[in-house]
Amino acid sequence: MTDSADTWRDRLSEYLDEALEDSERSELEEHLEGCEECRETLVELRQVVARAGKLVDAPPARDLWPEIAYRIRETEEGERHESRAGTAEAGSSLAGRHGRSFTFSVPQLAAAAVTLVALSSGIAWQIAGGFSARQAEPAVPVAQAPAQTNLLLASRIANNDYESAIAQLERVLNVGRDRLDSATVRKVEEKLALIDKAIDEARQALSADPSNAYLNRYLVGTMRRKLDLLRRTAALTEL
Amino acid sequence: MVPDTDLDSQDAALAAEGDSGAFERLYRRHVARIHGLARRMAGPDDADELTQDAFVRAWQKIAQFRGEAAFGSWLYRVAISVILGHRRRLAIHRERTAPEEWNREGRPSHERSSEIGMDFDTAIERLPARARHVFVLHDVEGYKHHEIARMLKITAGTSKSQLHRARMLLRATLA
Repeated sequence: MTDSADTWRDRLSEYLDEALEDSERSELEEHLEGCEECRETLVELRQVVARAGKLVDAPPARDLWPEIAYRIRETEEGERHESRAGTAEAGSSLAGRHGRSFTFSVPQLAAAAVTLVALSSGIAWQIAGGFSARQAEPAVPVAQAPAQTNLLLASRIANNDYESAIAQLERVLNVGRDRLDSATVRKVEEKLALIDKAIDEARQALSADPSNAYLNRYLVGTMRRKLDLLRRTAALTEL
Repeated sequence: MVPDTDLDSQDAALAAEGDSGAFERLYRRHVARIHGLARRMAGPDDADELTQDAFVRAWQKIAQFRGEAAFGSWLYRVAISVILGHRRRLAIHRERTAPEEWNREGRPSHERSSEIGMDFDTAIERLPARARHVFVLHDVEGYKHHEIARMLKITAGTSKSQLHRARMLLRATLA
């Protein structure tokens, strides 16, 4: 290919997008008449653009809404929690920012709980696999379990798997700590301190009201945040 | 039948008041497109998480949605901001650990494939990051070069050259 062909070939996308000045377009068309390689390239570029326009957007393999709903609720609750100096409150309707009243239906809460438990057990499973699998899979079949069973399961996970998962992650972090910059380490430590404080408060509240479903979910959610933060930070040490 | 854009406007207004049911309906109508964007921009491993992040961010900002543009366009901008922010955070960490250009998480650009007959979506995922972002935003999503330049903090000229680079690399998948 000649230098001239190289030059014009680099302009073929602009030609295709009708972004060339009239004079340039005329020159390029003149070049195309005598350059088979550029003509072929132009045909291929047209095909690439056509295929891009026909791509189909498939929905995700799993429903992401329960986790989104949970995170939204957690965010709203967290902000309120902070604004009230750490007072944990139970309820199914929370006054969010901008004066919004954020409400969930019972089915939405149940779905969020199912997902939460699945994620918690999935994270524990993932840690046990040494971070080799990116796709979290529940270690136990919880998707069809009723909400009450899920809460019990959450409690079991919290009591049994959680501490060992946290310990494993902390070991990974200690080994890889030097690979993170000091600002990141400081930020993570600050977040961990806040999460630990929230966990302590939730546990205290639960000791006075052990059957409170909302507090149970709040505790598991906060513990999941800690796992998630540690997991993400540990992954950064491997980059 | 009520057009989706009207339904979106109604549900966005309800969601801004805290109606999670309305927000869930918005999620159901738009999740495939947002997930597709996340998958193509950041790769399949991060697509679920980024989709969640985008909808959580949209919920946090929905009071700012004034209805001048379609809700889908607004949501798309939010998602792009989330995805590019994720990319920038990763890049900061890689600067010290990997001097070569990375096309996406965990995969250096020299691995980009010229495999004949590769799935088109996979081929897009394997493009170098900048070329991939420009290609997805321009050829898949229909943004103009000046808009892409603003989003990616590059010049319109760079956007054009990266688009051409991406298209040239993707020709290999046509066979």
